[in-house]
Amino acid sequence: MIFPLNAHRNLLKCKTTLFVQVVGLCLFAWICQWVAQSVHSIIPGSVIGLGLLLLLLSCRWVPEKVVNKGSAWLIGDLLLFFIPPVVAMTKYQLILESYGVELIVCMLLASTSVLLGTAFVVDKLFKFERQQRLNHIASQRIQIR
Amino acid sequence: MGLGRIMSGSSLGLMCLLLTLAGYYISKQLYLRQQRIWFAPIIMAPTLILLTVVIFKIPLEDYFQFTHWLPALLAPATIAFAVPIYRERTLIKRYPLTISVGVLVGLCLGVGSSWMILHFTHMPAELSKSLIVRSVSTPFAIEATRAFGGIPELTAMLVLLTGIMGMLICEPLFKAARIQSSLAKGISLGASAHGAGAAKANQIGREEGVIASLTMIFTGIAMVITAPVFALLF
Repeated sequence: MIFPLNAHRNLLKCKTTLFVQVVGLCLFAWICQWVAQSVHSIIPGSVIGLGLLLLLLSCRWVPEKVVNKGSAWLIGDLLLFFIPPVVAMTKYQLILESYGVELIVCMLLASTSVLLGTAFVVDKLFKFERQQRLNHIASQRIQIR
Repeated sequence: MGLGRIMSGSSLGLMCLLLTLAGYYISKQLYLRQQRIWFAPIIMAPTLILLTVVIFKIPLEDYFQFTHWLPALLAPATIAFAVPIYRERTLIKRYPLTISVGVLVGLCLGVGSSWMILHFTHMPAELSKSLIVRSVSTPFAIEATRAFGGIPELTAMLVLLTGIMGMLICEPLFKAARIQSSLAKGISLGASAHGAGAAKANQIGREEGVIASLTMIFTGIAMVITAPVFALLF
């Protein structure tokens, strides 16, 4: 009977850590948003917060394990958070009904151009950058010899 | 049916929150078992919830009574993106030029194509202005759309549609254009179809998935920062 109890306790501990991390990230986000609003920053508070957290992680002032579970949950369930705004689009039903076909055709053409254009440029550049890196490694080997 | 008349405000509001959570988690579980594209949470969850709200004529103010705190989690989710950037720093250092040029090209093509739509079609301004930021992830798009005069709710829906389209069209397009390198597939999916593209890229391969998520995050950040400048063009 000890094992299932232990497993249960571990699960509880896991959920508590997740909850604490999410609450911590929320508090951090709302502080950043409040500061950004009060100084009338052009860059929104959430993006400033992203930069700050990245800085803290890079300088190792905040260890990754303090935020990893919470951030994984927030990113993994991102879709859930914007379902309410999507439901609110029923307010604009009339516009969407009258321009629906035009909208879909435009969006398909635009998405195709973004997807293909980016893929094409990156494909060319990738070959160039890989060649550069190989040349660099080769020159280093020659120096070592 | 008019559920709004039968139930009182707050119990209906609570029902809506439960409906949203259940719709989302059920479609997520279903997709884990049946990997069919129509079961993908990005398609199934919003469709199920929207249909329920429309069929039962649930008033929007009741729907939002308890669900309004869900979008409040978009800001902490934005901050959470710092963790994958930090974790994949070696991958970023390996291809700095390719990734940054990919992000810039994707961003410019996205805004450029929107400019064409705005000037060559007769769609109402509120719709075409909400379209501009459609190719970046929702938390960034909702912030950036204000600079262009778009409507956050319409933007959220257009972002969702763009993601679904990107998922559906990417494979035939890659085949037709003979795109083979994993970097090109990942970056173009992340830059054109944000989270949905990243999920699709993850199915193609692990490296494609990581690259797509990174591109999605960088394109989002770049969009938010450059939006006030791009807005001058519109």
